[in-house]
Amino acid sequence: MRRSAPPPEIVVDGLPRRRPRWMELATSADHKDIGRILLVAALGFLFIALVELLLMRLQLAIPENTFLSPVTFDRMLSLYGATTIFLFAIPLALGLFYYLVPLQIGARGTALPRLGQIGLWLYIAAGTVLYAGFLFTPSEAGVNPLAPLSELTFLPDNGVDAWATATGLATLGFVLIAIDLATTLRNMRAPGMAWRRLPVFSWAAAICSWLLLVIGPVMLAAIAMLLIDRNFDGNFFADGSGGAPLLWQHLSWIFYTGAYMLVLITALGAIAEIVPVFARKPLFNRGATIGSLAAIAAIGTLAWMQNMLTAPIGIGWMYFAMIMALALIVPFGLVVFNLIATMVGGALRMRAPLLFAAGAISAISIGLAAEIEHSMVAVAWHLKNTTDATAATHFALVGGGVFGGFAALHYWFPKMTGRTMGESLARISFWTMALGILLAFVPLFLAGAEQGEVVDAYKFFDKTGVTTYNLIASIGAFVLATGIVLTLVNAILSRSGGPGAGHDQWGGDSLEWFALSPPEPHNFDLLPDVRSARPMRDIRAAIAHRTGRAEQPAPESQPIA
Amino acid sequence: MAPHSPGTDQIDTLLWIGFVAAAIVVVAVNAGLAHALRRHRAGRGAEPRQVRGGRRIQLRVGAALTVFATAILVLSLVFTDRARQTPATGPDGLQASNSEPLRIEATGQQWIWRYDYPNEAFSYYKLVVPIDTTVVLDLVSTDVIHTWDVPELAGKRDAVPGKLNRVVFRADEEGVYRGQAATFSGQAYAAMRTAVEVVAVEEYESFVERQDAEIQAAQDSVVGLIESGEAR
Repeated sequence: MRRSAPPPEIVVDGLPRRRPRWMELATSADHKDIGRILLVAALGFLFIALVELLLMRLQLAIPENTFLSPVTFDRMLSLYGATTIFLFAIPLALGLFYYLVPLQIGARGTALPRLGQIGLWLYIAAGTVLYAGFLFTPSEAGVNPLAPLSELTFLPDNGVDAWATATGLATLGFVLIAIDLATTLRNMRAPGMAWRRLPVFSWAAAICSWLLLVIGPVMLAAIAMLLIDRNFDGNFFADGSGGAPLLWQHLSWIFYTGAYMLVLITALGAIAEIVPVFARKPLFNRGATIGSLAAIAAIGTLAWMQNMLTAPIGIGWMYFAMIMALALIVPFGLVVFNLIATMVGGALRMRAPLLFAAGAISAISIGLAAEIEHSMVAVAWHLKNTTDATAATHFALVGGGVFGGFAALHYWFPKMTGRTMGESLARISFWTMALGILLAFVPLFLAGAEQGEVVDAYKFFDKTGVTTYNLIASIGAFVLATGIVLTLVNAILSRSGGPGAGHDQWGGDSLEWFALSPPEPHNFDLLPDVRSARPMRDIRAAIAHRTGRAEQPAPESQPIA
Repeated sequence: MAPHSPGTDQIDTLLWIGFVAAAIVVVAVNAGLAHALRRHRAGRGAEPRQVRGGRRIQLRVGAALTVFATAILVLSLVFTDRARQTPATGPDGLQASNSEPLRIEATGQQWIWRYDYPNEAFSYYKLVVPIDTTVVLDLVSTDVIHTWDVPELAGKRDAVPGKLNRVVFRADEEGVYRGQAATFSGQAYAAMRTAVEVVAVEEYESFVERQDAEIQAAQDSVVGLIESGEAR
């Protein structure tokens, strides 16, 4: 006779914690832990990028400065380029998506958590590899290391290898996270959460994931070729015996242009969540807005040759790039119009998230308006690689990545931590940043368009008419950096000392506000039946209905069964 | 920066058209945003009307944006095409047989420009060209990518190793025009400048002959030194 197994022991008050907290966090495959590490790391790299920017701006404060040697400047430039794009902007977007998408779609986790986990740690490895470059020599090949400068013949030390390995690891990580996000969005939506009811930010996550699945492998291929060229006698990009220097430009610009669109789509997606909540109105023309975001991803990436308008490519391809770039006016215009139309007739609460969202719209509009000029072929022949391009890119990407990212941070901080970020510090930070971005980049527009000052140069010469512009830009960079650091400080202080937040701090419409703040590991005790695009509003209306309070449910919402 | 060539005249005009378009976008978005933020603050007590949008207004805005984008596209195509037209050499210029333009090869190398003239003379850093003459600059590179840029005379173009790129200009005034290489090319990139000196036709011809003779003389003296055994 066999003995039966002992009855299972029922644990009533949770499993005891077996390992230290940091180890639990480091080995966690929970989407909230992974998302939080991504966000914290991205903001940390934002700080490092600021230090690099300020060192370069100090060097460029006065003509023919000798504060940084040419080599040091080139290293700062190369690190700044890789840090802002690969270690800050994309991971910040993915961190927000990874944290919020399961909460917004009413899921208890992601579909492929181990993929997200390895994606995160590949990204951390990328940051380590890039900065371990300091142990030997960081890359000196510039923001986008154009072949053949990045070839062994011209830069024989290991800097470019470190750059390529780091960006390759990061890109691989992003692709893995994108696979997880796309699968989660496809398979894990709560009952009733049809695609047409998906929150705009989750739509942005879906669009960006698919975009990354297209552009990520292209960049990985380019990086693999570069590493083969440098280390295994390859001949992809070197001229002679069949190499093609322009091949690197095509492949890398497809990625960079797509990444630019990714940053803007993420920012606009977050703003499209924030504006309706703070205006207490639904998003104006939701369907057209979502469609426009998808169009931006497709058309924007196809405009990659906008970066090659001075290269020896056919005039027909230049016109193709121009048509694609100018076509972007329509979807970007529709999204911005719909965001502003959502505010009209609303009851706007001017809290920090809305303030940063408005700042983001404003900065993005300046950057994209300037990009109109850069896509007009003959004008691009004049403006390309001048500081005008620097200014346009920074208005769009600081507007999207930093202003838009901070809007999202202020909006979802209560959900992630259970505390609100300090409002007065947020306001001081915002206005400092707004002043800073104007001071830092408007003079660069003028220096580039009027005097043709070139980008990426470690010095400029006196009597070329750009001395004053550069001085103002350097002062502006310090103001901008001060504003950004104030928000980082605010986040750190509010993490433990901020005013406590409710579970539904802002009266949000989407399901993440149905979870506790911060959410339980399993997100939701029970999943609501989603009946509209604004499920939390339905839940509030149902509660009001049952408790007999005055709040009338909106006509389109129904009480939950 | 004043344009001094037919091509840059067109570029300059288009630049201002683009500036107007950009200004319209910036003013429209920011004025609309500021208006919405000021006028629709909370505190009226009433719950906002739950407007979800309208198909008509969206189509109208989309149509307006399409018209705006198309207008910019058409203007860009017209002016870009004009900027690409190769102007013929003017009456004061260097009159070649069959009214061929003057072809000069510009070679980018880390970190200086070399100019090869038709009669085998060459010069570094400074390009000398005759006034009112159509100059076709064939851009090549011996190492990495460089961008030739003298904003007053022509739109910039990349010199890519293994590829041929081309700049055409016709300077309308004597003088020295400064330019700077505009693609990051390594350590001394910031110092990789160039100058185009536009001179009268006779002056250009004498410059090329002098340059040729001096290069020949330098070559001869080197050969002489080696053969006489003095240079070892």
